[in-house]
Amino acid sequence: MQKTLSESKRCSPITVKSLPVRSNHGPAALQSPSNRAEQRSCPQWRRANMALMELASLEKSLGFKKANKYSTQGNNKTPILQSNKGAPLIGLVTIASHLVQEAAQPELLGRTAEQRAVVRQWLEYRVTQLDGCPKEDIRSILKELNQYLEDKVYLAGSDFTLADILLYYGVHHIMADLSVQEKEQHMNLSRWFDHIQHYPGIRQHLPLVVVLRNRLYTGGHH
Amino acid sequence: MTVNLTVDETNPPLVVLLTAQYVKDTSGISVQEGKETTLRVSDSVQFCDVNSILRYLARITPSLGLYGSDFMEQAEVDHWLEFAYRRVSGQSSLTPALEDLDKALALRTFLVGYTVTLADLSVWAALKGSSGWPAILDKSGPFPHIHRWFSFLSSQAPFNSVGSKMCSGNT
Repeated sequence: MQKTLSESKRCSPITVKSLPVRSNHGPAALQSPSNRAEQRSCPQWRRANMALMELASLEKSLGFKKANKYSTQGNNKTPILQSNKGAPLIGLVTIASHLVQEAAQPELLGRTAEQRAVVRQWLEYRVTQLDGCPKEDIRSILKELNQYLEDKVYLAGSDFTLADILLYYGVHHIMADLSVQEKEQHMNLSRWFDHIQHYPGIRQHLPLVVVLRNRLYTGGHH
Repeated sequence: MTVNLTVDETNPPLVVLLTAQYVKDTSGISVQEGKETTLRVSDSVQFCDVNSILRYLARITPSLGLYGSDFMEQAEVDHWLEFAYRRVSGQSSLTPALEDLDKALALRTFLVGYTVTLADLSVWAALKGSSGWPAILDKSGPFPHIHRWFSFLSSQAPFNSVGSKMCSGNT
């Protein structure tokens, strides 16, 4: 993970002005239903497990027949792929990018130079901002993503990329806990999420999250 | 059996061109220009109404899923075909139709289901061909969901080629 972390210091994903404004008056629903004990007691372990399941799912959706074996490293349980050709690959984003190349689908990393940079930016956002994000900051992340996605179908604009896959895996547990009203409040995020979870072959190990496709709270302020 | 599509050369209906472009590799239709728009299925059967042509083309290419994946989606597609025909094409004011469309697209990437259907083709083409649309397209305030949907579709292959063909035909 060292590599990805040091890279990420150079560019912050999106305009920072909308970043963590801590509000204490968040709705109760964000904290309530799934304050699962294991989530708090052992977040690293849970995250490591998630990352390994994600990589397995990614392999399947890219069409790999044989699954790779991964190990983990350090307190953060960073995933490691020991490739038989060279040095071991370390970190979720590094391994995921490698898998995409190996599956001969480089367009998933972006078609143009600009798009490749945007994809990179969201991959870093996933591991630096989203993973291990404290509960009280989740609302500002949702707000930020919702705003960004208003005029886009995919994170990189009109093309489906690896960024969509990894961010979908990363926000899944958050979306699963949102109430119907909160999902509608973040309708751009919900729409993107619903589209990705129905994208052929992507959902794999994750349960389907119900997203209503017609608005209920039309009088709401957005 | 080949299906022959004749397209009115003076005033080609955009949605028919677009759908023909979509199904041409799967259906084996042949397209030529002529005096009026008709779809000739056999000596005794032909369609000249635009929506009938679209429905027929969608039904003979089930693998493309242009008519939705179940009865519910099929009914939704029918709804949008009527919507495009009655509330967008040739209307002097688009605003009431656009308000409904924007609301419908808030939580959807495509109008029906999770892939492109006749609904997207016909509403997109009706907007593209409508005289009031360019003025609305230039303003970025209202109808954010229509903007996103419209420009996303416009960037995709068959839409892109048909759209640019139409623009070059107009100049």
